[in-house]
Amino acid sequence: MDRTSRPRPRRFALVTAAAAAALMVAGCSSDSGGKKAEEDSGNASAGKADTPRMKVAMITHAAPGDTFWDLIRKGAETAAAKDNVELVYSNSPDSAKQANLVQNAIDQKVDGIAVTLAKPDAMKSVVAKAKKAGIPVVGLNGGIDDWKEQGLLQYFGQDEFVAGEAFGEKLNELGAKNSICVIHEQGHVALEARCAGVKKTFKGKSTTLNVNGTNMPSVKSTINAKLKQDSSIDYVVTLGAPFALTAVQSVDDAGSKAKVATFDLNKEMVDAVESGDIEFAVDQQPYLQGYLSVDALWLYKTNGNFSGGGQEPVLTGPAFVDKENVADIAKFAAKGTR
Amino acid sequence: MTQATAPAESPPSPASPAAPKDGRTSQRSLTRRLAARPEIGALIAAIAVYVFFFAVATPFREAGSLANVLYEASVMGIMALPVALLMIGGEFDLSAGVAVTTSALTASIWSFQLSMNVWTGVVVALVVALAIGAFNGWLLVRTGLPSFLITLGSFLILQGANLAVTKFYTGNVATDSISDMDGFDQARKVFASEIGIGGVDVKITVFYWLILAAAATWLLLRTKFGNWIFATGGNQESARAVGVPVTFTKIALFMTVGAGAWFVGMHILFSFNTVQSGEGVGNEFLYIIAAVIGGCLLTGGYGSAVGPVIGAFIFGMVSQGIVYANWNPDWFKAFLGVMLLLAALVNLWVRRQATRR
Amino acid sequence: MTDSTISTDGGTAVGDAAAGDRAGLAARDGQPIVQLRGAGKAYGNIRALHGVDLAVHPGQVACVLGDNGAGKSTLIKIISGLHQHTEGEFLIDGEAVRLSTPREALDKGIATVYQDLATVPLMPVWRNFFLGSEMTKGPWPVRRLDIATMKKTADTELRAMGIILDDLDQPIGTLSGGQRQSVAIARAVYFGARVLILDEPTAALGVKQSGVVLKYIAAARDRGLGVIFITHNPHHAYMVGDHFSVLRLGTMELSAARSDVTLEELTNHMAGGAELAALKHELAQVRGVDVDGLPEEQAVRAPVAAQDAGTPLAASEGTSS
Repeated sequence: MDRTSRPRPRRFALVTAAAAAALMVAGCSSDSGGKKAEEDSGNASAGKADTPRMKVAMITHAAPGDTFWDLIRKGAETAAAKDNVELVYSNSPDSAKQANLVQNAIDQKVDGIAVTLAKPDAMKSVVAKAKKAGIPVVGLNGGIDDWKEQGLLQYFGQDEFVAGEAFGEKLNELGAKNSICVIHEQGHVALEARCAGVKKTFKGKSTTLNVNGTNMPSVKSTINAKLKQDSSIDYVVTLGAPFALTAVQSVDDAGSKAKVATFDLNKEMVDAVESGDIEFAVDQQPYLQGYLSVDALWLYKTNGNFSGGGQEPVLTGPAFVDKENVADIAKFAAKGTR
Repeated sequence: MTQATAPAESPPSPASPAAPKDGRTSQRSLTRRLAARPEIGALIAAIAVYVFFFAVATPFREAGSLANVLYEASVMGIMALPVALLMIGGEFDLSAGVAVTTSALTASIWSFQLSMNVWTGVVVALVVALAIGAFNGWLLVRTGLPSFLITLGSFLILQGANLAVTKFYTGNVATDSISDMDGFDQARKVFASEIGIGGVDVKITVFYWLILAAAATWLLLRTKFGNWIFATGGNQESARAVGVPVTFTKIALFMTVGAGAWFVGMHILFSFNTVQSGEGVGNEFLYIIAAVIGGCLLTGGYGSAVGPVIGAFIFGMVSQGIVYANWNPDWFKAFLGVMLLLAALVNLWVRRQATRR
Repeated sequence: MTDSTISTDGGTAVGDAAAGDRAGLAARDGQPIVQLRGAGKAYGNIRALHGVDLAVHPGQVACVLGDNGAGKSTLIKIISGLHQHTEGEFLIDGEAVRLSTPREALDKGIATVYQDLATVPLMPVWRNFFLGSEMTKGPWPVRRLDIATMKKTADTELRAMGIILDDLDQPIGTLSGGQRQSVAIARAVYFGARVLILDEPTAALGVKQSGVVLKYIAAARDRGLGVIFITHNPHHAYMVGDHFSVLRLGTMELSAARSDVTLEELTNHMAGGAELAALKHELAQVRGVDVDGLPEEQAVRAPVAAQDAGTPLAASEGTSS
């Protein structure tokens, strides 16, 4: 290819393009929305404790990038900042790997471990090792039936299954007859547990619908298809806030009269709840679960306190959010902590 | 400006219709030749799948259901086109799935953080998407490593960056809403609106998909560049030896994938407003599947642009058809796999029959 | 001098319509089209080639022979533009050049038909024929391939070389080895090659197919092209060659015109005859070794005047068309 005759017109074109881009960028601000419009929110910034620095490891079974777990982590981080705690967070949806991570924390000689017992059997031996090493262990989110037996100090939260059961009861209250439970990651322990819980208490017909959570247009189409397949569906239950919003679009597309209810909140959903597009949302208060776990370990270290008397779990939910009370939650949701 | 030595010595009347036949190669019948085209097997498989679900699932028969199937097929199909062209050119791009999310995130975060008209975000996202494609291509021609490996690396980088960058700017794993920003409604009209046909709302992506497919077919079969694509994928060294710009072709193909990722990313952004940073993972294989079902050879050098269209349509029909037919959802993925294998086998069988001599 | 962009009109690689005239001119004043003088190539410490002299005249076939590892492929790569020589001179039309890409060589009229044929097996014959030099019509951005013209031209050119194919759409991989070689040669001839380099075209072919290829080499020669025929088969070389060069371990061991060497001498050279002759002298001293079958030194040397009737087998065959 000859190099001599091309560059001049090409270079000229490049320069004009760059200039045009610069001009466009300069003149194109948005009058509404955007970061400018966002309220400046700090975290719940309290003071900082003057107790000696301690290290707490939190090991969950979260899959990376899951909103729900992010809230747990945020709560934990807030408590850590307040209590002068160094928080070491790690996660793996694979139970064997999760157990390894706990072992890792033991080797680091942390002052406290907060762990989720999604698959209690997998964690049994490593929890025992932690206890032998003298490290206090608290449980959160998963393992409501096993924490006591394994000798955990405290337990915060509630099982997904229990949340599902409460959800099912609420559906009964509202007179629902036929619901679908949209699982966006087939085989995920927490999601499957929620749907199983709903199925247990719900008196009407409850079917699962598997969708591909990493492909939102596919989620939309699949829910649409299901609504077409069974026009007697009156409730679409989703297991995550983004999927609830998508379900609203699907219901609209399919011309169905079904209502949408979901687990978990986010700030985008607030408008939808207010307007009634989403009937209600269950808030397990993951922020609280994370916060309490870290704070509890700090309390135990500094003052030997622990809640529940070693007997009872500390329940953090579920809290039902619907049109009536969403306004109160809205501003917290806007901060990304509810 | 033709070769001077040739015409003077060539035999007379080259345009004579009665040029002597050799008998060594017999003209293949029209049906045989049609059947040898890469996409015919896919078409037959598609018809078979359609008829099957038509019979088995009542809701499948409605026009609205077809629109729904086409929507899912189109979002996947728009990406399957450049991925197929790249495959014909002999390379893979495993980062295609997450690149879609990257461009959506870029547009959203840029517009939101700088409080700018979303169209600037759209343009910046295009630049970023093309840059990622160019990077993949450049790395490939520079190092000579297999594209599978290179794009696996960029897949992981993008997957991690998607999450980390989103977290950094928004504090969440998903982007903030930009629906109240300037330009959003316009952009939504362009990228994520619907067009009513005969009482059924068809998403605009379906139309874009078909238009892009036509453009891709024309590019592949009727332009010089298309010839270069076949040659680069069929035998790279031969192509280079006769003067085909192999480097340019490969980089251009990767950038086309980038452009496709941008387009689909924009659709997702303006359709769903917030972008989940974990999206897109796993889709890269779906694009490849659509291309292979559509008759593109995994080893390159053979294929078409119409094939992946049919492949995407098959995929859409199968994944939605399973729901319309109300089969046990726990078996969803297994069903999907079985039907895709069957479709690919039908395709293979047809091709074998056609090229048997 | 040459059209620098990948030219599309007419699809010629030589942007000079007077190529044919030049071929005639060169023949008249005896200047070779391509010439190597003392050329050599070193890859780091390894000298793959050195001291090579070669001249290619239009309408003549220059054979380059040698066993594997002799340096034949390095030689071709230099002439076809894939590599650059590190010593000596490489002259095209009397001017010293240094080619950096195959495209440049093509533009100067040097076409190479490689062992693996530089064809893409899955592509149809007509697409292969015009690969890299496709004909187009129409303005940008709707510039498209002129498929009808390309198919017609390919058909014409192939028939001119004696190849008759009914279906130009069939993938070129379905043709036999000899047919594929012929298509590649026809392609090179069409695109204005003045010098055709054939890299071991008969190496993987059977007897009959080799004959087909040799026929096409002769046809190309008769059209006024200069041909460099690379082979390790002296019999094939002797059938069409006008000049013979034998390469051995990177140097030229023999360089003789057809009239100066017989087939037997050529074969002996190829078989390492010079070494055997030297060995014979040594072994003659040792009892029990039968050296009668080994060649004499005189037999192996390329004599200036060989009185022998080394029957030029290919004389009549070479002129057939």
